[in-house]
Amino acid sequence: MLAIETNQLTKFYGESLGIKDVNLAVNQGEVFGFIGPNGAGKSTAIRSLMGLLIPSSGTAKILGHDILTEGDKIRAKIGYLPSEVNYYDEMSSRELLEYSARFYDTSNLEDIDRLAELFELDLKKKITDLSFGNKKKCAIIQSVLHKPELLILDEPTSGLDPLMQNRFFELLEAENKKGTTIFFSSHILSEIQRMCNRAAVIRNGEITAIENIQDLLEKQMKKVRLVFDKMPNDQVLPEGAQHERWNKNKLQFEYVGPVDRLVGWLSNQSLHDVVLEEPDLESIFMNYYER
Amino acid sequence: MNKNLFLKELQRNKKNLMIWSGIVIGLTLMVLAIFPSMADMGEDMAQLMAKMPAELSKAMGMDENTWSSILGFYSTYYGIYIIVLVSIYTTSTGATILSKEEKDRTSEFLMTKPISRLAIFKSKMASLLILSLLIYGIQTISAIIGMSLFSSESVDWSIFTVMHASGLVLVLFFTTIGVLISMFVKPKKNFMGIVVGLTFGSYFINAIAKSTESTEWVGYFSPFHYLDFTISDPDYSFNFLSAIVMLAIGAGLLFFAYKTYLKKDIDG
Repeated sequence: MLAIETNQLTKFYGESLGIKDVNLAVNQGEVFGFIGPNGAGKSTAIRSLMGLLIPSSGTAKILGHDILTEGDKIRAKIGYLPSEVNYYDEMSSRELLEYSARFYDTSNLEDIDRLAELFELDLKKKITDLSFGNKKKCAIIQSVLHKPELLILDEPTSGLDPLMQNRFFELLEAENKKGTTIFFSSHILSEIQRMCNRAAVIRNGEITAIENIQDLLEKQMKKVRLVFDKMPNDQVLPEGAQHERWNKNKLQFEYVGPVDRLVGWLSNQSLHDVVLEEPDLESIFMNYYER
Repeated sequence: MNKNLFLKELQRNKKNLMIWSGIVIGLTLMVLAIFPSMADMGEDMAQLMAKMPAELSKAMGMDENTWSSILGFYSTYYGIYIIVLVSIYTTSTGATILSKEEKDRTSEFLMTKPISRLAIFKSKMASLLILSLLIYGIQTISAIIGMSLFSSESVDWSIFTVMHASGLVLVLFFTTIGVLISMFVKPKKNFMGIVVGLTFGSYFINAIAKSTESTEWVGYFSPFHYLDFTISDPDYSFNFLSAIVMLAIGAGLLFFAYKTYLKKDIDG
């Protein structure tokens, strides 16, 4: 059974497109990234999965349950962390977390104090008096209190300072070790790189790629910097080289293709120095966005 | 129904209920407190009324009974102000009980909990019913206390009961309209204007209908036409048929609102 399975999931807002033909298959226990620029359709996809939006067409199952007919069963097993946090202003953090916990059979109210201490959240403060970052801490705590099987996180770190972000990632890693599946939507690629095994890229409402993060980093474009001992006669670069720049006996280019082809070409050159750089995830995905 | 949400709704509306209860109790006691002095001027008031255009008296629900008994006096103001005021509270609460979550953008929190839209709807409607019955009960009790305090003569409690039962049906009917309105008006809009217009408008349509025979037909468009408070009518009794039809229509409106809610995209 898959944790998340969507089939041609589509959502139109009247005439305008939200998402189109989204197909996802997220395995249980996986940390799956969902990447895209702002307005790409990440939140629309998530809000459809959560039952907040009614899909225009297509189907989706979460933990084996249909999102349209078994939404309450699904939500009992899910922890959801929204990108924007809006709670009842008149409540204190503790009241809000207790109110949230009472919706579930699996919540342990004692965890509220433990998690509040971890994230340095003042439980006595009214929601209206909390900063955005502190509201986000409240949202993090309410999303894990009931020990969910699946965590759906929409831009989870916005508003958190680096120290809290680190504690949050450690919490996620601990939850994942216990078997919790994590669906991690973000436009911050370093977060995806740190947390995720695989990621889907969404652009203009459509999935443009689903890749293994490690494969992406290994197989995709590499930056090659060379210093020649002896300049080559033909200056013909290997197939897959692009954006080359010559500076006297120095050459820099980007390479997309099998590594053995590049190595074969390099072995035929008279080189003084070779530098192969792994691009960061951001460069890789900029490639996707630009396609 | 979800007990957690039901209790939260009651808690959330507690302050508003207390404020409106204070207003309703104040108005009820004020109306009844005026009666003794009005009764002392009974002859003068009857002469004054005789000089008023008959259409105006009819429209306002005034007749000779208005000044001769506390129940007659109370029924005039009950129809004009009290029912309208209680309806404004319950209708506006009905209009906001679901939409407030969207307006405050808390619906995302609520609707990502393990609770179906049906359970949300039922829990909210149950708390709305309790709030409506509470304010109605509070008003009724304050009227009973007021009559006991400010009337030396005996009160016909059977007529009082008929009047208040009719009033309750009207209030509940308006409340269901409030719930339905909230399905079609943007949550950020202030509902109060629509609610006041609806309740006062219904009252004035009935007042116009009662003033002359030529305008009688417009009364069919007002809920007040079907359950009125003309207790001077010797045949005045509880109109079961109208009450059942209005409650059935109210249930139909709620069902339609639920069906709409079921398919609604939640923005906040």
